Amino acid sequence: MLQSKIPEGPLENKWRNYQLKSQLINPANKKKLNVIVVGSGLAGAGAAATLAELGYDVKCFCYQDSARRAHSVAAQGGINAAKNYQHDGDSVWRMFYDTLKGGDFRSREANVYRLAELSAPLIDHYVQQGVPFAREYGGVLVNRSFGGVQVQRTFYARGQTGQQLLLAAYSQLYKMKRAKKVELFPRHEMLDLVVINGKVKGIIVRDLVTGQLKRFAADAVVLATGGYSRVFRLSTLAIGCNGSAIWKAHKRGAFFAAPSFTQIHPTALPQTSDAQSKLTLMSESLRNDGRIWVPKKKGDSRKANDIPEEERDYYLERRYPSFGNLAPRDIASRAAKECIDAGYGVGRLKNAVYLDFKHAIENFGIETIKDRYGNLFKMYKKITGVDAYREPMQISPAAHFSMGGLWVDYELMTTIPGLYAIGECNFSDHGANRLGANSLLQASIDGYFVLPNTINNYLADALREDPVSTEHLEFEKAENEVAEHINKLMLVKGNKTVDHFHRELGKVMWQECAMSRNKEGLVKAISQIQKIKEAFWKEVNITGGYHEMNTELEKALRLADFIELGLLMCTDALEREESCGAHFREEYQTNEGEALRNDEGYSYVSAWEYDQGKFKLHKEALEFENVQPTVRSYK
Amino acid sequence: MYFRKSIIAITGLFLCLFLIVHLSANSILVLPQEVARGLYNSYSTTLRESPFIKIVAYILYLSIVLHVIYALVVTVNNRKAKRKGYAVNRFRENSSWTSQNMGLLGITVLLFIVVHLANFWARIKLGLGEGVGLDSEGHVDVYKVTYSLFQNSYYVLFYSLLMIPLGLHLYHGLKSAFMTLGFYHKKGLRILAKVSLIYAGIMALGFGIIPIIVFFK
Amino acid sequence: MKVIFKIWRQENTNTKGNFQSYEVDELTEDMSFLEALDHLNEVLVTKNEKTIAYEYDCREGICGQCGVFINGRAHGPHDNMTTCQLHMRSFRDGETIVVEPWRASAFPIVKDLVVDRSSFDNIIEQGAYISAKTGTAPEANSILVRKEIVDKAMDAAACIGCGACVATCKNSSAALFTSAKINHLNSLPQGKQEASKRVLEMTKQMELEGFGSCTFTGACEVECPEGISIINIAEMNARRTKAKWIG
Repeated sequence: MLQSKIPEGPLENKWRNYQLKSQLINPANKKKLNVIVVGSGLAGAGAAATLAELGYDVKCFCYQDSARRAHSVAAQGGINAAKNYQHDGDSVWRMFYDTLKGGDFRSREANVYRLAELSAPLIDHYVQQGVPFAREYGGVLVNRSFGGVQVQRTFYARGQTGQQLLLAAYSQLYKMKRAKKVELFPRHEMLDLVVINGKVKGIIVRDLVTGQLKRFAADAVVLATGGYSRVFRLSTLAIGCNGSAIWKAHKRGAFFAAPSFTQIHPTALPQTSDAQSKLTLMSESLRNDGRIWVPKKKGDSRKANDIPEEERDYYLERRYPSFGNLAPRDIASRAAKECIDAGYGVGRLKNAVYLDFKHAIENFGIETIKDRYGNLFKMYKKITGVDAYREPMQISPAAHFSMGGLWVDYELMTTIPGLYAIGECNFSDHGANRLGANSLLQASIDGYFVLPNTINNYLADALREDPVSTEHLEFEKAENEVAEHINKLMLVKGNKTVDHFHRELGKVMWQECAMSRNKEGLVKAISQIQKIKEAFWKEVNITGGYHEMNTELEKALRLADFIELGLLMCTDALEREESCGAHFREEYQTNEGEALRNDEGYSYVSAWEYDQGKFKLHKEALEFENVQPTVRSYK
Repeated sequence: MYFRKSIIAITGLFLCLFLIVHLSANSILVLPQEVARGLYNSYSTTLRESPFIKIVAYILYLSIVLHVIYALVVTVNNRKAKRKGYAVNRFRENSSWTSQNMGLLGITVLLFIVVHLANFWARIKLGLGEGVGLDSEGHVDVYKVTYSLFQNSYYVLFYSLLMIPLGLHLYHGLKSAFMTLGFYHKKGLRILAKVSLIYAGIMALGFGIIPIIVFFK
Repeated sequence: MKVIFKIWRQENTNTKGNFQSYEVDELTEDMSFLEALDHLNEVLVTKNEKTIAYEYDCREGICGQCGVFINGRAHGPHDNMTTCQLHMRSFRDGETIVVEPWRASAFPIVKDLVVDRSSFDNIIEQGAYISAKTGTAPEANSILVRKEIVDKAMDAAACIGCGACVATCKNSSAALFTSAKINHLNSLPQGKQEASKRVLEMTKQMELEGFGSCTFTGACEVECPEGISIINIAEMNARRTKAKWIG
C-alpha cells in the first residue's frame, strides 16, 4: 500500500535517475499553478522562494508576526556538509553512513544518501546568499566537529548558524515577494486542510489579528511546520511551535510516521517551577570539557562545592568509560534521568545534574575556558544568575527534536496526493535519532533542492484539471467544521486554564513517553491522556472573543491537537517492542542496560492512518541494500 | 532625511570652525586694557572691511538660518515618528541627557545668539540703539561696546552661564555631525569623542570666562 | 514574591488605551518576566477576565518576537538583553512594574502590548538580499572572504529584528536595524554587485515607513540584545553618500 517511490539504479545514481524521468512544466504554465506553503522556517521559506523563482504562484503562511521568527532561527551549532574541506577522509558515502547509523537504521537508504549528496551544493548556495560562515585567515571556510562524528564537516556562523541561514532564506523570500511571485500571510494559522476527490485543494486559516476564518485554494499544499515536541509542554522549542497543521492533515488522511521518535537533549537548563514555559538549550559542545556528576548520597542538600571529590559520582565516565561525558544524546539523557529518578538529582527541585568545569579550569586555565565557552557562560548567568566559573552548572534533559512526522515518499509527498511535508514535520531522514547539525541540513535540502524538483511531477498533471474555487462545497464544509470546533471550545466555559491542561499532558508524556518507556506506563498514559482530553473539553475556560486577537484561543486550539497527538505517540511507542535510537523500551535492553534493537521484527517505518479516533498501523519495510545494520555501542 | 541631516551637520561644522576664530579674537579682550582696545578695534575694522570676510559672514548667517530651520524640520519629523511617548522613560540609563536634549540646548543657544546679536551686531552694523563712537585711531570702538556691556553683572552672568548649553550642544553636535556625514573609523571615532570633549570644553570655558575677566578688569 | 504590574491595555489599533494595575502574588525569583505575565493571565482566566496580549516565541533571546518597555527601558532594566531573558530576580518584592508597548508611529499597536513591526519586513524587501537564484551558486570556497571582514559582517548580521532600537530611540529611528543589514551584505564580496542599489533603496524605504532620523543618542546600542554598534549607522551614511554621488 505504501509506495515509497524510490527510483531505480545504484544508490549514488538514484536522485539523478529520478530527475531525468520526472515531468517538466513549461514556464508559461507554471504561472498558472498555485502552491501554498505553510510555515516560513528554513524548509518553508526555502521552498516558497525557490518555487517562486521557478515561476509558480506561491502563498506562504506563518503564525508569527514575521517570517523571520520561525524556530529554525534558534539552532546554534551548525550545518553538516560532505565537502571534505579538511581533507580528513570525509565523503558523501561516509556522511550517509554516519546519518543512517546515527538514526539506528530506521530510515530509508535512498533518502539519507540524497541528503548527504546535496549537502555540498547547499553550502555553496548559502555562501552565495551572503551567510557569514566562519572563515580562516586565508579566507576559506572553517569546519568543526560535532556530535561524536570522526570528521570535521560542520559549517557554522558563531553560535547563531540557524539564525543566519533562516535570515538568508527569509530575505530570499522577500526578494520574491517584491517580484510579486510570493504573497505572505504572517499572523495566519492553518486550521484545516481541504481535500477534494482525494486530492489536496487548499487550506482554511485563521487570521490571528481579526479572528476571521479564510479559505485559500491551491494546486498543491506544502507543510513546513516544524517539530511537535511542545506536546511535552516543556521543551527547547518556541512556545508557538505546534503540531496542528500536520495533525489536521493526518485527520484528513495523511499517514503519520514514527510519531514517538522524539529526541531528548541532555544539556538544557532544568525546570525551576511549575510556571516554567521553556527549557533553554545549552550547546552540546559544553560536554567536551565539562564533567557530569551527581552526589553519591541521595538527596544530598550540601552546596556543590562543599561535596568532596570522593562523594561525587561521575556516572557517565563510570558507565561509558570509552565515551564518558561525550556519550551520544539519547544515552546521556537517559543516564541523567535514571539518576534523577533514583533520587540523586540536584537543584531546588532535585531535577538536575551537575556539569562541572572545575577540572577543566584547573587544567587549561580560566582564560581558555572563557575563550571556548564565554558566550554560553554569559547566557547561563543571564538566565540563572549563577556564575558557572565558580560553581557547576545545573543541567537537565529536555524534549527537543521530532524525528517523527508525516509519512512522505521519496518525493516528499504524503499519502494525500498534492500534499507535501518538508523539514522537521516529516519523517524522512533521521530514523530513530538525529545527529547534531543535521536538522538545518534536512530542512534546507527539502525546501531548496528536493521539493522544487519533485513537485513538478505532480503539478504537471494538475495542469490538466480545472482549478477549484474557494466557493466549492468542500471549502464551505471545512470552514464550517473549523468554526464549529472553535465555537465548541469557546462555549465550554469551565474553570481551568489551557496551560493547566498542557501541564497535565506534559507531565504524562514526559513521564511515560520520553527517554524511557515501558508497556505498563504507556498503557496507563493512554488512559490518562484520554481523561485529560475529556476534562479539557469539559473544564477549559477561554476568555475573550473569537473574532479578535485571542492568544488563549490559539493555545487551546493547539493543545486540543497535541492531546490527540499524544495518544498517537503513546500508541506508537507501545507498538514498537524494541529499543532503537531515542525510543528506549525498558523491556528490551541488554543486561548492561543498553538498547536492544530488533531488526527482524521491527525494521520498518510505522505509518499510522487515522480512522475516526482510532489509529491503524501500516508498515513500510526498510530494505538495506548497501549497508548492514550494526549494533551501536558506546561502552 | 539624509539631505536635511547633512545640511545640519555641514552648517554645524562650519559654525564650529567659526567659533574657533571667534574665540581667538575674543581672547584679545583679556589683554591689558590699552593694548586690548587698539588691537581689538583694528582687528574688527579689518574684518568689517575685507570683502572675503563679507562673503564668509553671509555664509555664516546662512549657516545659522539653515541649521535652525533644518533642525526644526527634522525635529518635527522625528516627533511625528513618535507621536506618543512612554509614561515612564529612563533614558538616562542608556544615553546622555545632552544627546536626548539637543533641541532644547539648541533653542537656548539660539536665544543667546539673538541677545548677542542685539548687543553687538545690531548696534555696530545696523546702527540701532545707542550710537557707537570711534577710538583714538579712528576705528569704531567695538571694545568699548564690549567693555561697557560686561560691566553689567546680569549680562556677565547671562553670557557666562549660557556657555554651558553651548558647550553641551557642541560636544554632542561635533561627534554626531561627523557620524552623520559618514565617518565610521572605529579608532578615529574614539579620538573624535575626546576631541569633541576638549573642543567643547575650551569653547564653553573660553567664551564663558572672558566676560568675567572683563568684568573684573 | 509579589509585584504590581501596571500594564497598557488597548483593544485594537483604533481604540484608545489606558493603564491597568494588577497585583500578582505567588511569583518566584526564578520565574522569567514573561512567565510572570503568563501567570497573571492564568489568574485573569480564572476570574473570567480577558487575558493580556503580548508577544514571544522562542523565549531564548534569538527570534526577536518579544519586546516591551519595562519600567522605562526597552526589554527591561538590563543592557543588551531581550524581554524573554529577563527574570523576576531583577525586581524587588512589592515593586510596581510599568509595562508599555513599543512606541513608534511605524509600529502601530495591534492589541495591548502587541505591535505591528511589518515596517521592518518592508525595509528588508527593498534589497536586503542577494539576487541569485537557488541552483546558481559557484563552489563555496571560490569566494574568499577575509576573516576580519566576515567577523564584522557577522557582528552586524546578528540583528534579531526585535525593534528595541526603534522603541528606545526618541526619534523612533530604524537606522540601527537598517544599517546592520546593509553593512552585513555590502561588506561581503557576494553583496557587492547590488551594493549601491541596496543602500539607496533600503534607506529610502526606511524613510517612507515613517521612522525618524538618527541623532546618535546611542540608546539603541545599549538596548540592542545583540549589542550591535552604533558605528554601523555612520558606516551606512558613508555607504549612502558614496552610492548617491559615486555610484
